[in-house]
Amino acid sequence: MDKIAYTSVNTMQTLMKRQTAIANNMANSNTVGFKADMVSAEAKYLNGPGHDSRALAVERDMQADMKSGSMTQTGRPLDIALEGDAMLAVQTTDGKEAYSRRGDLRIAASGAMVTGDGFPVLGESGPVTVPPSDRVDIGADGTVFVVPQGGDPTQPQEVGRLKLVSMTGSAISKGSDTLFHVADDGQLPADENARVVSGALEESNVNMTAALVDMIETSRAWETQAKLLRSAEELDESSASIMNLPQ
Amino acid sequence: MSNAALQVARTGLDAQNTKMRVIANNLANVNTTGFKRDRADFATLSYQNIVTPGAPSDAQNRFASGLQLGTGVRLSGIGKIDTQGTLQNTENAFDLAIEGGGFFQVERPDGSTGYTRAGNFNLTAEGNVVTSDGLPLIPAIQVPQGATAVTIGNNGTVSASLAGQSEISELGQIELANFTNPAGLLSVGNNILTETAASGPAQVGEAGAEGRGNIRQGSLEQSNVNIVEELVNMIETQRAYEVNSKMISATDEMLQFVNQQI
Repeated sequence: MDKIAYTSVNTMQTLMKRQTAIANNMANSNTVGFKADMVSAEAKYLNGPGHDSRALAVERDMQADMKSGSMTQTGRPLDIALEGDAMLAVQTTDGKEAYSRRGDLRIAASGAMVTGDGFPVLGESGPVTVPPSDRVDIGADGTVFVVPQGGDPTQPQEVGRLKLVSMTGSAISKGSDTLFHVADDGQLPADENARVVSGALEESNVNMTAALVDMIETSRAWETQAKLLRSAEELDESSASIMNLPQ
Repeated sequence: MSNAALQVARTGLDAQNTKMRVIANNLANVNTTGFKRDRADFATLSYQNIVTPGAPSDAQNRFASGLQLGTGVRLSGIGKIDTQGTLQNTENAFDLAIEGGGFFQVERPDGSTGYTRAGNFNLTAEGNVVTSDGLPLIPAIQVPQGATAVTIGNNGTVSASLAGQSEISELGQIELANFTNPAGLLSVGNNILTETAASGPAQVGEAGAEGRGNIRQGSLEQSNVNIVEELVNMIETQRAYEVNSKMISATDEMLQFVNQQI
């Protein structure tokens, strides 16, 4: 008996994972700074005696689509959009450095500046904290200015500078905490020329039309595999019936 | 049977639904005095690791990128957007607007202090200054009967000319409260906010000093909701909702097809 059924089932499992990744992109179509995931499969040949017909599709690789999302004007001083390939350094829950394109910053109760999903933002020397202040502004080069409480609004004071890095030429990958990491706790080089736009946000870069087309394609591929499974069953049935002795 | 693609699309529907509710609330409050609009912030749910990047692929080599499947989206918070609303001139002596930061303090029925930007105050039969819901202002201001020309200065000083007196008398001082993180205040309805651990303690004092705004008598602060912006957000949310529900029906059809074929 041919093991065609196993090839189909394997492909169907792969397709369902792909569908999950597309669903996740769609679910995050309104998440600030989200980078779409791209899943690719590779062929795994099972060589053995007979015809080499056994190539299983294995989901192996996932990369984030790093192209920029569209920028939306919000007017909120703590919203920043990163220009070009710049990334914002943030601190992970275990104290390491990771990177994000999320620019909806806020001030936590402790005074620490955090991203919209709660990771402390790193400055050039550790996490950025902001004293009680009347106003916080972020300059185009990532410098954080505050007007202290009761201070002169025309004389903002510098309290630090966001650590902006460049991702060009480095291999980064999305971790399970949704942040971007360099392998082996490495760090990206700081970029003196990185620029941010204050009062704007980078939207999710999920292309809805492409996601819908991918979704339909995956559904149809799934149906083809299911049909193949059905054919395998029929083949088995007919070969079994040949063996039947005439009654 | 639980199917990941279905569950992931469901998180998308939930999140977009909540965002729609936030937008509906903003639109409903487009004419509420002193209302500050909310913004729903989304965050990606944690990824499920299937192949860790950097894991060895054989004795010499390592996987350059991993395989992680996302598990959807969640609402990370609903933030208040604290921009100043437009001031509308009403000529009413007890309509007060704050130009800049700070909140009026009012005494809630349970005795705790509430904070509000809605400055549409009134007088009770006893002459106390109260909100439109009847909550008294802190510190309490009482306007005696027969008082005319009640004036409230930019710094909150309340004065009036009393019957039978030629001099203008000072009736009290309205104090404002300011917070390190006003976005961390808790909305309890009726335009009232309360202090939380996230907002930090209230810093109470004279208006117009230490970062507190000036009080403008005879004006009201309008809601800071921008209708056009909310409508655009609404359309965007609606489309995102649609696409997630399409994913649910597509995955459902896939499973249905298998059930029929095999």
